Amino acid sequence: MGNEIWGDRSLQDGKTQHFSVGDLHVWLRFRDEEIWIAHGYKGELKGNIKEDQPPKKVEWVRWANKTISADLRIQPVFPDLPLVVNSEYSLMVSPDTQIQIYTRIPIWIRVSLAKNNYKLTELPTIKLSRTWFGTPTEGELCYYATTKARRDLSRADKKQHVVTCPILVNNKSPEELNFEHFCFRVERLSIYEYNDEFWADETRIVYHGEDLNSDVIMTGKLPEGIQKKQMVAIPRKEIKKSLATRTFKRLFEDTQIFGR
Amino acid sequence: MSTINTYIADGNFQPILKVALIIIITVPVLLLLRGWARRFFTKKYAPHYGMLAGKLIFYSGLTILVVTVMGQLGISLAPLLGAAGIVGIALGFASQTSVSNIISGLFLIAEQPFKVDDIITINNTTGVVLSIDVLSVKLRTFDNQFVRIPNEMIIKTEVTNVTRFPIRRFNAKISVAYKEDIGRVRELLMEVAEKNEYSLSEPEPLIIFDAFGSSSIDLLFLIWAPVKEYVLLKNSIQEEIKAKFDEEGIEIPFPHVSLYAGSASKPLSVEMVQRQTGEKQKDSVQN
Repeated sequence: MGNEIWGDRSLQDGKTQHFSVGDLHVWLRFRDEEIWIAHGYKGELKGNIKEDQPPKKVEWVRWANKTISADLRIQPVFPDLPLVVNSEYSLMVSPDTQIQIYTRIPIWIRVSLAKNNYKLTELPTIKLSRTWFGTPTEGELCYYATTKARRDLSRADKKQHVVTCPILVNNKSPEELNFEHFCFRVERLSIYEYNDEFWADETRIVYHGEDLNSDVIMTGKLPEGIQKKQMVAIPRKEIKKSLATRTFKRLFEDTQIFGR
Repeated sequence: MSTINTYIADGNFQPILKVALIIIITVPVLLLLRGWARRFFTKKYAPHYGMLAGKLIFYSGLTILVVTVMGQLGISLAPLLGAAGIVGIALGFASQTSVSNIISGLFLIAEQPFKVDDIITINNTTGVVLSIDVLSVKLRTFDNQFVRIPNEMIIKTEVTNVTRFPIRRFNAKISVAYKEDIGRVRELLMEVAEKNEYSLSEPEPLIIFDAFGSSSIDLLFLIWAPVKEYVLLKNSIQEEIKAKFDEEGIEIPFPHVSLYAGSASKPLSVEMVQRQTGEKQKDSVQN
């Protein structure tokens, strides 16, 4: 895996470092006791991308810190909002059935000072559009992502910019669960590096019916072969064992009817 | 000097000292309590409640303080209260508007059509709510003017709370020429919405065939954004639509009128009937 990207790195005075992951290009520089960071995305950067100098369109952001240090830490982190994950093909889960699926989420990178872990910036490796999960009067802002909802990962290509999340879906309702889209609250998950890929700990979703909240349980169970010491990012929010929340139903149904 | 000494010797000094002490201790305590109540209710509920709680505590405390001070100075409240009845009637007639505003203010507080920091529109005034007071609501407009609106007027008028709900829809009116393929236009508009950074994927953008206009086919393009990014969406998406249409050769028509001579299929024929006269006129102008 891009070991040259993740972890600690030292910047040399006046010299520029560059790395890219997913669609993201990042330039780092240490100059006049400041850390300079510039970034851009593949679709937006035109022409040849030079490693020693970002294109003119890209602007530098300067960071001055009381700890004058040229040592940076680059870490993978989960997105800063929940994700509404849409399955490419609908998956119907019959009553009293439990299945395991894998969904792959584009990661963000966190640039922080190596000395005190002070966060400088966080950048998505792929720009995701945002979506609304809830009703017109209340709900939450989420990122919009699509998934293949794979049952088996053996045929999936390894990608540097995604984290694989095992999800156990348990349909405890008497009705079929249409696994077309669901709200995936990733802020309570950790990231582990294993076999040149990023993995998250297991999430278990217990579906009780359309009008009831689903139980979302962070089991903390790690995929086979992964150990705690391989953790590369802690959860954004303090882990709670479970939460009862709306996961499958969006309740936003009046747009088509009341177009005006 | 002898007058002061006589005054103190008469035993008046003690109550004055007491009053001074009461004022010195009570006023800072009241201010502290007001600040604490403001912070507590703002943190726990909303800035609106913080302001109200602060005022309630301060003015109640002030009333108690005045009554206590009067008691210490030996001023009896009974004749004052008696007089207050008569004065009250007179004041009642004189302050009808103020009372109406106060009662309207109470309704506003109970009904909560808006809170401090919300953006509201009343009549033609739009601004951020600075405070909801006993008599009036204060707004700051976006061109930085201070507007005071009496509570009574707000109760009687239609109020639009722009920021009440977390997401908002922008309705873009799009006109395209009759020759354009509407299916293609739909595709392009959806593409623009998908690429716009403020547009939400869900609720899905919607295109409605609005009307066969006099010069164009009119469409409504409905896109949602978080309420705080509404203006950014409005600005960016219209520019992007124009750029996309220019790029793809989609005509945005200006109003025009077609003239036909009796039949819709036959164009109006134009004949030059007085060419010579026209040329003569031209000559005379040149001369």
